[in-house]
Amino acid sequence: MSFLVPHLGELAWGVAFTFGLVALGWIGATILGTVLAIMRVSPVPTVRVVAAAYILVFRNTPIAVQMVLFAFGLPILGIEFSLFTSAVIVLVMYHAAFVCETLRSGVNAVAVGEIEASRSLGFGPFGTIRHIVLPQAFATVVQPMGNVLILLVKNTSVAAIVGVAELTFTADKIAIEEVKAFVVFGGAAIAYVVICVVLKRLVAVLDRKVAFSK
Amino acid sequence: MSEGTLFEPPGPRGRRRNRAFEIVTWTVLAGIALVAMRKADQGGLFDAAAWQPFAQPGVWRQLGLGLLNNLRAAIVAMALSMVFGCFLGWGLLSKRAVVRKACRAFTDVFNGIPVLLLLFFISLELPAWGLDLPDFWFLVIALTLYSTAVVGDLVRAGVSAVPRGEGEAAAALGFSELQTMWLILLPQALRLMSPALVSQMVIVLKGTTLAFVLGGYFDLLRAATVLGTFYSRSSLQALAIAAIVFMLINIALSQVAAAIDRKEKERYGVEPVALGE
Repeated sequence: MSFLVPHLGELAWGVAFTFGLVALGWIGATILGTVLAIMRVSPVPTVRVVAAAYILVFRNTPIAVQMVLFAFGLPILGIEFSLFTSAVIVLVMYHAAFVCETLRSGVNAVAVGEIEASRSLGFGPFGTIRHIVLPQAFATVVQPMGNVLILLVKNTSVAAIVGVAELTFTADKIAIEEVKAFVVFGGAAIAYVVICVVLKRLVAVLDRKVAFSK
Repeated sequence: MSEGTLFEPPGPRGRRRNRAFEIVTWTVLAGIALVAMRKADQGGLFDAAAWQPFAQPGVWRQLGLGLLNNLRAAIVAMALSMVFGCFLGWGLLSKRAVVRKACRAFTDVFNGIPVLLLLFFISLELPAWGLDLPDFWFLVIALTLYSTAVVGDLVRAGVSAVPRGEGEAAAALGFSELQTMWLILLPQALRLMSPALVSQMVIVLKGTTLAFVLGGYFDLLRAATVLGTFYSRSSLQALAIAAIVFMLINIALSQVAAAIDRKEKERYGVEPVALGE
């Protein structure tokens, strides 16, 4: 294992970048996904269509293609971000579509009577969504949302193809330099699996916490 | 209430408000489109010269070959993972705790590792073990490992969703455990799983684009970037075409999945097994 010592700094940065991508990607995707979900059930037809079109486009284009297009294609048009920023933006845009679809299934699970009651109490459409529907929808989809989060964790590795030095990229670099693919990739794989398992546990705990509000 | 709005039809005031929203949305959309068009025009996206290469059939043949390579890898990986997935699913339902735990560990591990990491690992490690396969097989192996974990869990869910009586009846008729699984449970489970399997096909197809990192596998994304190096003015156009082609294929596949899902509910009145993503 001594061959790892000169690379410890790099590895730490790789893990830090992965966590950064996950954190920023998740915050962005949750916000954008919630906005899209609200748009998706809006009483205004055009707003619904816009959200539906967004989901169709971003869900069905492979994230690797989006990443390459964004990081290498858009600079031709003079739209240029740092590689890390591009990776975060692509992760947010891709996963927002999944968050939206997940949240919408939660919205559909809210009883119609709740909405009718809230309307008759004088809540407008937005107030109903904001105060009545969304809190219940979020509580029902904790588990599926956890799956989207794990999808996001795994997809942060795609940032490696445009050269963001996150965990997968760093592991590949060290493995090639030291010709020790098995140990290095094994370690990186364990790191990913541990992150996923820990997140799954946390999601299960959260799911139990909110169980009563369903 | 899967489509449409949550709310009752609007009254006069609601209609006015909705119309105002409608106008605002169109204005914003038009504004975004205008800015995007101007940016694209300045960047030369619509220049005739940049589109020139696409007049040659050879360029399209290259892109088509790339796409064919994506589809080939996706289909082989999907077929393999369905075969292995059935065994894994069977293992996940095994009465022996050791088998069950081992299979569970396999699904957890390969569900948790990014496919890209698997791909890097396989492309570096297998040649070191003396298995110098073409890049196609590196891609297929990585995707199969991941997809097997997903399909295995699907098979488990599918078989569990088949009514208990089916298995009991088979046992009462003297079917062996293997026969029960192969003749009675799996066919019904596969029918329940079919929408989810098509969705998984979309995920695998999206995954084939990761072959971009191998460098030696000529997939559509690679074809588009190679095109961009030959005709440097057309690289954005080539990438955009690749993105649109993938999008259309995946939308078509998703429609198929949704159609099967609907059919299933209509014909058998059962909820098909869903993909956990």
